[in-house]
Amino acid sequence: MKARRFKFPLFGKGILFLGLLVFSVCQPGVSSATDVNVDCDIQTGGCQKQINARTVHLEILPKPVKAMKDLTFQLKISGDSLLEAPFIDLGMPGMKMGPNRVILKKKDAAIYEGQGVIVRCKSGKTIWQATVVLPEIGSVVFTFDVIY
Amino acid sequence: MLSTSSIYILFFTTGVTIGFGHCIGMCGPIVISLSLNLKGAPSVWPHLYYNGGRTLTYGLLGAVVGGMASFTRFAESIDGLQKGAMVSAGVIIVLMGLAMTGWVRTGVIFRAAPPVGTFISGIFKRLLQKKKHPLMYLPLGLLLGLLPCGPVYTALIAAARSGMEADTTLGGVLSGAGLMLCFGLGTIPALFLVSRLTDLRWLRYREKVYQVGAVLMMAVGMYFIWNGVRF
Repeated sequence: MKARRFKFPLFGKGILFLGLLVFSVCQPGVSSATDVNVDCDIQTGGCQKQINARTVHLEILPKPVKAMKDLTFQLKISGDSLLEAPFIDLGMPGMKMGPNRVILKKKDAAIYEGQGVIVRCKSGKTIWQATVVLPEIGSVVFTFDVIY
Repeated sequence: MLSTSSIYILFFTTGVTIGFGHCIGMCGPIVISLSLNLKGAPSVWPHLYYNGGRTLTYGLLGAVVGGMASFTRFAESIDGLQKGAMVSAGVIIVLMGLAMTGWVRTGVIFRAAPPVGTFISGIFKRLLQKKKHPLMYLPLGLLLGLLPCGPVYTALIAAARSGMEADTTLGGVLSGAGLMLCFGLGTIPALFLVSRLTDLRWLRYREKVYQVGAVLMMAVGMYFIWNGVRF
């Protein structure tokens, strides 16, 4: 009797193909809007959060905060002057958009300012995150809605 | 401050990670459509030409944004072009799907379509023909490189910054082009892998898959057209 040969490479390719189709259609890494909490109403004003004992106030201007426009990012940080300038990393929750860092420069004793752009995503999702990093102190994430 | 060579390596590696983390999801349907459209014909060269075209467009965009040294001014100026690219991509995919089903003959599609220039309609015809020249995928890649894409925008912001830091406009053009070419090259492995996995020559009942695939392609194409209109 002729033994049936189990064609693993074909089977494996089939599984990979199906997996790829599902991967492609579902667009993994793209979180649904419902599982991301917007915790900052940046369109009406600035937002405030704590990093250790410091209060960080984030403001983005001009209003309304729109994608694909030159924006000014401003941080007000309480406490002693920082040894290193803070920076902001912009990104979308659950979506790899590439490194988009806003370099901040000291404007005042407690105020840092820099220019940046929030880009538009083809998916149409408008929720963005600004990760404020205070070197050697810590980081905090602001999640907000942007107008496309 | 990063050295010149390390920033190019950084852009290449960013392209690789974005390729696997983002492009597979967003551009995967296009690559799968192109693979299905080949209907079992050798797919290495067509996909290399497609990816090469896409990367060349990124390089060109990088050169322009680096020369302008402003991302937002550049983005405003190509808004309409990107919208057109997205609608065109959708139309191409729908036509590929239609040609694959065999319900409508290629010649009929072009007799019904408005005249859009011999060159463009020639490319369309060759893409829809059963026997395709791999080089036909180069102009397709050049066009699809214009599709609006978040990570490409992010890379272009950095290219604009390199233009600001350059001493001359030519320096900005060259650094912007170089950075975007590195980014584009980095995105190739992920999309090329998708193309290899969707090469169905090994599948016995592939004709059935092609029929289903053709319908899916038309749906994807319609989605692109709709997205392009609302973009």
